[in-house]
Amino acid sequence: MLWAALRLPLGADASPPSPDALRGVAIWALQFTPRVAVLDESVVAEVEASVRLFGGKRALRDRIFSESKELGVIALAWATNSLASLALARHGIENGFKKPLDQLLDGLPFEVLTAAVPHQPTLARLGCTTLGDVRRLPRGGMARRFDKHLLAALDQAYGMRPEVHEWITVPETFYSRLELMSRVELAPALLFGARRLLLQLCGWLAARHAGTTNFTLRWAHDSMRAKHVEGYGQLMIRTAQPMRDLEHLCRLLAENLAKVKLEAPVGELELRVDEVEPMEEISASLLPDTVQEGEALGLVLERLAARFGPERVLRPVACEDHRLEWMTHWQPAAEPQPRKAARLVDTPQPTWCYAQPLKLHTRGDMPFYQGPLLLLTGPHRIEGGWWDRIKEDDEEETRNVQRDYWLAVSEHAGVLWIYQERLGGNDAAWFLQGVFA
Amino acid sequence: MQTAFGWAQDIEPAPPLPTSKPAPQRGQLPPSVEAALWRGDELGAPVVATLSSGWRELDAELPGGGWGCHAVTEVLSPQDSVLEWRLLAPVLRPIVAAGQQIVIVGPPKRPHLPGIVQAGIEQRHLVWIDVDTPADRLWATEQLIKGASTGALLSWLPHVRAEQIRRLQVAAHACAGPVFLLRPENARHEASAAPLRALATLDINWALRVQILKRRGPVHDSQIVLPSIPAGIESVLTPRLRRPSDIVVRREAPHALGSATPAARRRRFASVS
Repeated sequence: MLWAALRLPLGADASPPSPDALRGVAIWALQFTPRVAVLDESVVAEVEASVRLFGGKRALRDRIFSESKELGVIALAWATNSLASLALARHGIENGFKKPLDQLLDGLPFEVLTAAVPHQPTLARLGCTTLGDVRRLPRGGMARRFDKHLLAALDQAYGMRPEVHEWITVPETFYSRLELMSRVELAPALLFGARRLLLQLCGWLAARHAGTTNFTLRWAHDSMRAKHVEGYGQLMIRTAQPMRDLEHLCRLLAENLAKVKLEAPVGELELRVDEVEPMEEISASLLPDTVQEGEALGLVLERLAARFGPERVLRPVACEDHRLEWMTHWQPAAEPQPRKAARLVDTPQPTWCYAQPLKLHTRGDMPFYQGPLLLLTGPHRIEGGWWDRIKEDDEEETRNVQRDYWLAVSEHAGVLWIYQERLGGNDAAWFLQGVFA
Repeated sequence: MQTAFGWAQDIEPAPPLPTSKPAPQRGQLPPSVEAALWRGDELGAPVVATLSSGWRELDAELPGGGWGCHAVTEVLSPQDSVLEWRLLAPVLRPIVAAGQQIVIVGPPKRPHLPGIVQAGIEQRHLVWIDVDTPADRLWATEQLIKGASTGALLSWLPHVRAEQIRRLQVAAHACAGPVFLLRPENARHEASAAPLRALATLDINWALRVQILKRRGPVHDSQIVLPSIPAGIESVLTPRLRRPSDIVVRREAPHALGSATPAARRRRFASVS
């Protein structure tokens, strides 16, 4: 068995760390193994079964070491059982495998075992300083003289007796708070503390095989704040897809925090998850993946259509029509395309068109649009459409057009496709309908 | 040691040794070192993949010899929807020919298919995301960049902040195709994370003027004039119409404007066409 002990710093006058801090580290550790327990001032976890999943002992140790450091863990130790690992962590030895465990433990002062601490004066008077000294005392005498916990703990630490733990379970909801070491006055500086909470969040999400789409960071303002300032401020972050990548979440939060102006110094942070969705892991591949990693375009378009509505994600279908407005029919991208493509006109056509032709000002009888227009060629006459009837407000209307198109050029607006309406009688109006962009 | 050497040289200048290799001069390095060396006045070459822009003059100024993939490229212009297809169709055509899709996000005007087909982009390879608000444009753009299987992406982002561009740029690292962000000219004074920014303006004489505002390499402070006639128009242009600026100058002469009678107007049109 491979036990890791993660020791948190003791508070002032050797008070144990807060339950919140212990719980936070335990939740984070749950991503590595379900066998996580709290032991005095430390969190112990049994990770033997997860070694391969996390890429070997060395990789797992490095990851736990670096991440736990960010969470405020001061000592990490490895041994074959939890009490021994805790004892080593207390004495500052990390690796409990470099020598046989008996030899390592025998040299440690006996105070590293919690059960021995109440008997410290008696044991000291007996002349014991190390665990080895205590172990050499006659067992019968010890059992009579001290309580049963000492002997049990000694046996467990040396691996002679099985241990019993109360495992920490993955909570249904995530909530974590953190008291900042000093008052923070600038929002971006909150990121340092928030990162610690996000690290716990990512651990919790990993343990639940889920990702978050929505989480809230709340901060409590200092009690010395101005009167009009509220006690709390908060920031809600949404992500497009379920996410539990720490770096990504940190980046998101950093971007958002950069815009926040704190109204008073902040002393405490809270992180709460509002929406969680199950997330599928990407399985690791034996071979390097040279194929494009991105999803198919169709999936992305589907997502866009889901958000904006299918009428906003469009593909063109050409129609055989001589009138510019009805040459293109835009249909939702998901609908099938006609098998046979329609023929397109072979005369010059603009690349952009106005949804409604724009009526142009005229000076004299020349059209103006951002300055005078120079008519290059024309007229290109488009006429007809009486057969195209539409019903509007119980009134039948034909979409008949009579237009003379001109190719116009303007210094600023580029090459334009304008027409003169011929149905208007004497006051023939000019319209701008397209741009050759 | 050095003085002794100098003294020996003074007395008897060493005859040039007959060597098979020319001795490396000052500033000249062995080719292997030269290849690995980047000089301050050269264009940067860390661009992973590029696509030719279609003009040799422009390719020569773009790092890597074309529009970059795996990154966002900003194209600024004083007015929207006046030159996009003229500038970008040459790079989009090979993408379409390879069977990839072109996605346009939030163009300010309706795309008109016949003209776009004439520019060389087939109808089956075009997708129009008709979004309007800045947040929607940005979200759609990001999703498409992350999708990463797009052939090319053209996104009109008139209102976008520097950190949003940065976010797109980070996402674009994984995107194989080129990503063009089309923005107004006044954005040139804002900082941007895009590694390549170009300002494109119209020239009335059937050309585009491109100035590269930002690139990996030395500052580019001249304008590149790229001859460009909108697709389909070439066939109807007479030699006279190839220099519209001449006609405009003549037009601006007194009495050229303001003739009221339709007959006179028709005459003038005839003279132009």
